Amino acid sequence: MSFYEAQDLFFSYQEKPILQGVNLSVEEGCIVSLLGENGTGKSTLMKLFLGLLTPEKGTIVLKNRALQSYSIKERALHVSYVPQSTQIAFAFCAFDIVIMGRIAFESWFKKASQADIQIAQSSMERLGIAHLAKRTFQTLSGGEKQLVLIARSLAQGAKILVMDEPVSGLDYGNQLRLLETILHLSKEGYTFLKSTHFPEHALMLGGYTYALKNGHVLAHGETSETITQELINELYNTDIALKQTTCGYPVCVPAFVQMKE
Amino acid sequence: MVKQSLLFGSIIALLIVSMAVSLCLGRYEISMKTLMHFLEWKWFYLGDTPHNATLLENILFDIRLPRILCVVLVGAALSVSGGAFQAMFVNPLVSPGILGVLAGASFGAALGIMIAKNWFGVQLFAFTFGFVAVLVALGVAKIYGKSGSTMIMLVLGGVISSSLFSALLSVVKFMADPYDKLPTIVYWLMGSFSAVDMKILASVSMPLLLSTITLSLMGKYLNVLSLGDDDAKALGVRVTWVRNSAILLATLLSTLTVVAAGMIGWVGLIIPHIARFLVGADNRILLPMCALLGAAFLVIVDTLCRTAMSIEIPIGIATSLIGIPIFILALKNAKKGFA
Repeated sequence: MSFYEAQDLFFSYQEKPILQGVNLSVEEGCIVSLLGENGTGKSTLMKLFLGLLTPEKGTIVLKNRALQSYSIKERALHVSYVPQSTQIAFAFCAFDIVIMGRIAFESWFKKASQADIQIAQSSMERLGIAHLAKRTFQTLSGGEKQLVLIARSLAQGAKILVMDEPVSGLDYGNQLRLLETILHLSKEGYTFLKSTHFPEHALMLGGYTYALKNGHVLAHGETSETITQELINELYNTDIALKQTTCGYPVCVPAFVQMKE
Repeated sequence: MVKQSLLFGSIIALLIVSMAVSLCLGRYEISMKTLMHFLEWKWFYLGDTPHNATLLENILFDIRLPRILCVVLVGAALSVSGGAFQAMFVNPLVSPGILGVLAGASFGAALGIMIAKNWFGVQLFAFTFGFVAVLVALGVAKIYGKSGSTMIMLVLGGVISSSLFSALLSVVKFMADPYDKLPTIVYWLMGSFSAVDMKILASVSMPLLLSTITLSLMGKYLNVLSLGDDDAKALGVRVTWVRNSAILLATLLSTLTVVAAGMIGWVGLIIPHIARFLVGADNRILLPMCALLGAAFLVIVDTLCRTAMSIEIPIGIATSLIGIPIFILALKNAKKGFA
C-alpha cells in the first residue's frame, strides 16, 4: 500500500544527472522534510512529485496508481503546490489568488460559483487571514503571502501539500508561525512534502526526514532518529554539535560559538 | 463593484455616442435630429417619411454603417488580442504583432496585390500568411523549447518570424511596379477602412465577433497563466492547451483586422494600457474593457480620418499620431499597472 511514493527515480537536466535512483515514501497525514545542499535536486524531486516534470526512469505512485495516469485535473484534486512566495506580475488581490485554487473545478467561461467563493472564503478563515481578502498581493508581507498561497491550496481541496522552502525570506516570527500552521494542518489530516534549509525546522515538525546528497538519499527515517550531528556535518560540510536542551529538545550549536565545558 | 459598472456604462455610452456621431458626419452631413427622425421612421414606423429617405438609407446603411461596424469590431479585436498577449507574456510592451502575425499578413497582402486577380485573393493571401508567420514563430520556439523558458523562446521566435516577413515584404515592394502596384501596397499598409462594404463586413464580422468574445471570456485562465507555468499546472490548468487556444484566437483576430483594413498599429498596445489604468490588471475585467475601449477609440479616430481633411487620412498613421500623446499621458498616470 503506497500513499505517495517515488520508486527508483532518475532525472537529469541536459545530460547533467540530478537524481540517481531516489526512493521516497510519504505516508498519509505525515510531514516529510527534504534536506540537502543547494542544487542537490530537492526542487527537482518535488516537481517530479507534482507531475510538472517526467522522470527519466522510475515511477511516482499516488494512492496505488501511477501519477502519470492521473489527468491534470484529477491530480489537482489530490496534490497542490505552495511555491516560494511567487513573483506575481499583476496586481491581484489576495482573494483572487485564493479562488484560483478552484479554477480546475469551475466551468469554462463562467464566473466562480457561489460554492467556490464560499470555499475560498472559508479556507482564508481557517488560516486567520480573512481580513486580507481585499489587499493587493504585492502589498502583503512575506508571511502573509505564504498563508495566502496555503489558503489557495486548501481551496483547491487537495490533501497533500508540496512546499518548496516555505520559510525562505520570512522573518523569524513568521517562520515560527508558518511552521505552527503546518503542524496544525497536519494534525487535521493534511500531508506535507517540503524542502527546508533548516535541520532545526525539520526537528520542530517531527515526521520523516530525507537527506539528499549528490542525487542519492543519504539517510532517511523518523526525523528525531535521522537527524544526527554526523548527518548534518556530512550533509552541509559544517562543524556543529547537536545538543539536548534541558527539556530534551535538540539544537544545533556551531563550533565557532561552542563554549568550553 | 458599483464604480466598475459605472465605468463600463460610461464607456458603452461613449461607444454608442461616437458611433451615432460618426454616422452623421461625412461628406454629406446629416444632423442628429434627421438621424433620429429617420431611425424612428425606419425602425418604429413613427412620423412622416423623410423627404430624402432613399438617399439617407443609402448613405447610412449601405455606406457608413458597414464601415462603422467594421471599425468597432477591428478596434475591439486589436485591443483584446493585445491585452491577451500582454497577459500571456506577462509583459506590458507586447503588442498583437509579437508572434509575427502582422508582418506575415502584410507580406501576404503585398504578395496578393502583386499576383492575385482580385481583392478576395489579396485577403486570402493576407490571412494565410498571418498564420504562416505565427507557425514559423511557434516552430522556432518548439525547436529550442526544451532548453530554457518557453516564453523567451516564443518571443525570439516572434522576432525571427517578424524580421523574416518584413524582409520578404521589402523584396515584394522592391519588385513591385513603382507606378501601379507599389503605391497600392504602400497605401494598403498604412491601413484604411475606406474599402469596407457589406461584403467585407459579412465575411469578417462573425469570426471577429466570436473570437473577441471567446478571448474576452478567457480572462480567468490568463490570470492563472500569469503566475507561471508550474503554478498554473499544479492548479490543474492545461497550460499548453490554454496558451495555444489564446494564441490561435489572438492570431485569428489580428489577421482578420489586416484582411479588413490593412495595418493599424498602436491600438493593440495602448488600449490595454489605458484599460489597465482604468480597471486594474484582472483579465476577467480587463479584456472586456479593452474591447469596448478599443472599439470606441477606433471609431473616433476613423471618424477624424474621414472628416478632418478633404482627402482621407490613412488610419494607421492617425492611430499612431493620436495614440502616442494618449499613451504618454496614460504612462504618467499609470499606478495600478503591472506593479
